[in-house]
Amino acid sequence: MVSSLGSSIIAIYRSVVGVLTLFVNILYWIFIGPFKGKVASRQSIFYQCIFVGLRSALIVFFVTIFTGIVLAMQSAYQLERMGATLYVAALVAVSLCRELGPVLTALVIAGRVGSAIAAELGTMKVSEQIEALQLMAINPVRFLAVPRFLALFFMQPCLTVLGNISGMIGGLLVGTGSLKINSDLYIQTTFNYLELKDIYTGLIKSFVFAMVIALIGCYEGLNTKGGAEGVGKATTRSVVISFILIILADCVLTSIFYFSEM
Amino acid sequence: MKVSNLKKSDCTICSIEGEINLNTSPDLRKAFEEFSRQNIKKIIIDFEQVPYIDSSGLATLIELFQRMKKIDGKLRICSVPEKVKNVFEVTKLHKLFEIYDDQESALEGF
Amino acid sequence: MEEKEVIISLRNVSKYFQGKKIIDNISLDIYRSETFVIMGCSGSGKSTLLRLMTGVIEPDEGSVIIKGKNITGISVEELDDVRRSFGMLFQYSALLDSLTVEENVSLPLREHTKLAEDIIRIIVKMKLSLVGLRGYESYYPSQISGGMRKRVGLARAIALDPAIVFYDEPTSGLDPVVGGVIDKLIKDLSSKLLITSVVVTHDMQSVFNIADRVAMVHKGQVVIVGDVATIKNTKNPYVQQFINGKPHGPIDFFKEDIGIKEFLEL
Repeated sequence: MVSSLGSSIIAIYRSVVGVLTLFVNILYWIFIGPFKGKVASRQSIFYQCIFVGLRSALIVFFVTIFTGIVLAMQSAYQLERMGATLYVAALVAVSLCRELGPVLTALVIAGRVGSAIAAELGTMKVSEQIEALQLMAINPVRFLAVPRFLALFFMQPCLTVLGNISGMIGGLLVGTGSLKINSDLYIQTTFNYLELKDIYTGLIKSFVFAMVIALIGCYEGLNTKGGAEGVGKATTRSVVISFILIILADCVLTSIFYFSEM
Repeated sequence: MKVSNLKKSDCTICSIEGEINLNTSPDLRKAFEEFSRQNIKKIIIDFEQVPYIDSSGLATLIELFQRMKKIDGKLRICSVPEKVKNVFEVTKLHKLFEIYDDQESALEGF
Repeated sequence: MEEKEVIISLRNVSKYFQGKKIIDNISLDIYRSETFVIMGCSGSGKSTLLRLMTGVIEPDEGSVIIKGKNITGISVEELDDVRRSFGMLFQYSALLDSLTVEENVSLPLREHTKLAEDIIRIIVKMKLSLVGLRGYESYYPSQISGGMRKRVGLARAIALDPAIVFYDEPTSGLDPVVGGVIDKLIKDLSSKLLITSVVVTHDMQSVFNIADRVAMVHKGQVVIVGDVATIKNTKNPYVQQFINGKPHGPIDFFKEDIGIKEFLEL
C-alpha cells in the first residue's frame, strides 16, 4: 500500500518534470532556436492553425450558444422573482467572459485538439517515426511540438472570443424572444455591466489553457509506449489530465484576479 | 570550387575545379544560370579537376541539361574521373548525358 | 594488404534492459565502404546493436566510436552533427504519414541544406528513380504498398548522400524481385559510391548476396565475424544451425524442455 503510493508519487513527479522540460524545450525552440537558424516551418504552423482554429470554430459556436441560452433561461427564472429580468443581459455577459467562455472553449479544444495531438504523436512514436526524425537530426520538439503549441497559443484566444460572442448571442435570443426585452436595451445593458477586466482576465486564462492543452497533448504523445493500446491510453490520459488542469488553473487564476490585492 | 570558362568559336568550355557538394553546388548553379543569360547554346563541361560530385551537383547538372533542351542547345561532358563516373553510373545518368573522354573528342563535330 | 579505415567501432559495449544483459561486452570494427551484415535470431540483440550505433540508446558500459568520435555521452547537438552523415532504413520504413512521398524524401534536404527548391525536386526525382518509384511523388505513405514504402524509406535514407547507411531488415516483407533490387542497390552504393552499409537481417539469401563481412550475434554476444566464405565453411554449430535453418542445435528455441511436473503445476 505504502509502496504503491510511493511509486505513484514518483510517477507523478516524473511526469511533472517531463512536462516542464518539454515546456522549456518548446520555449527554447521558439525564442532561441531561430537565432541558430533553426525555425519551425511556417507551413506547418499555418496548417495547425487551420486545424485548431477554423475546424474547431463550429463546435465552439454550438457549445457556447446553447450555454448562453441555458444560462439566460435559468437566471431569468431567478431574477424574475425580483423583477429584474433585464439583468439577465449583465449576468450572461459577465459570467461568459469571465468564466464560461474561456473554460468551455478550453474543454472543447482539449477534447478535440489535445486528444488529436496525443493520438497523432503517439502513433508516430510507436511506429518509429519519431525515432526516424531523431536519426535525421531533426528535433521532434521543434518539428512537431512547436507548431502545435504556437497554433493553440494563437487560436485559443480567438476561439474564446468567438465563444463569448456566440454565448451572448444565445442570451440575446432568450432575452428578446421569451423575456420580451428590447434588443437595443439588452445590448446596452450588456455593455454597461461588462468591464474591460472581465474580458482581459478571460483572455489571459485562455492563453494559459492553450499552453496546458498543447503541453499535455504533446507530452503524452511523445511519451507513448506499447503499440495501439498505448496510443489509446495516451489519448485518454491527455484529455483527462487537461480537463483537471484546466479547472485547476481556472481556480487559481480566478483567485488571483478577483480575490487578491491586484 | 572554381569555375573557369573558355570560349572556342561558338562553344563554351566550362572547367570545374574542386569538389561539387552541398556547399559548392549553389555557386555552380549561379555559373550555369549565367550561361542561360548569355544565351550560350553549346557547352562542354570539363570534369578533369573534380574529385567528387554529390546529388546536389548532379541535380544542378540535370537542371542545366533541361534548360539547354528547352533552348535547343547542346551539352557535353568530358574527362570524367573514375570516381565521378561511378556516381553517374549508379544514378544511371551516364545514359542521359553525352560523355567524352577528353576535350578534343568532345569538340569534334560539336 | 592495405590498411583499412575503421569508420564504426564498438569497444566493450554492454547494455542492460530491466536487469537483463541484452548486449554482452561486444567489440566490433566496421571499415569504410564495406557492407557489414549483422545476423542472428529474433531477440539476439542485433537490433539493439543497431540502435547503439545510431545513438538512439546509450551503452551502459563501453563506448561507440563513429568516424573517430566517441558518441557516448555527447550532447544532442554534437550527436546531430554525426547523424547528418547517417542514413537509416527502418524495418517498417517509418515514413511520416502526414507527408507525401516527395515531402518525405525531401525532408532531410529541406531541413539541413539551403538548396534551391528546383534542385531539391530534381534530387528527389533522382533518388526515387534509383529505387524505381518515379511518378509516386504525390502519394501518401498510406496509399502505397509496404514494399513501396520501404523503397521510399531507402530513397529518404540516401537523400543527403550519407557516408554510412544503416539497414534494419531491408528485404523483409518484400517480394524476391524487389528484394533483389534492394540488395543490388545496397551493393552498388557500397562499391561505387563508397558508402558504408551496416545491415541487420536474417534473410540468408540477402546475406550471401551483399555482405563483405558478416557477424553473427547470439544472446548478446558475437559468435563469429568473417567474410562470406568463412561463414559458409565454418564448423561453428551456431552458424551452421542458423544458415541451414534447423530447429535443433545449440540455439535453443524451446528455452528448456518443459517436464510433466511443470504442466502439473500449471
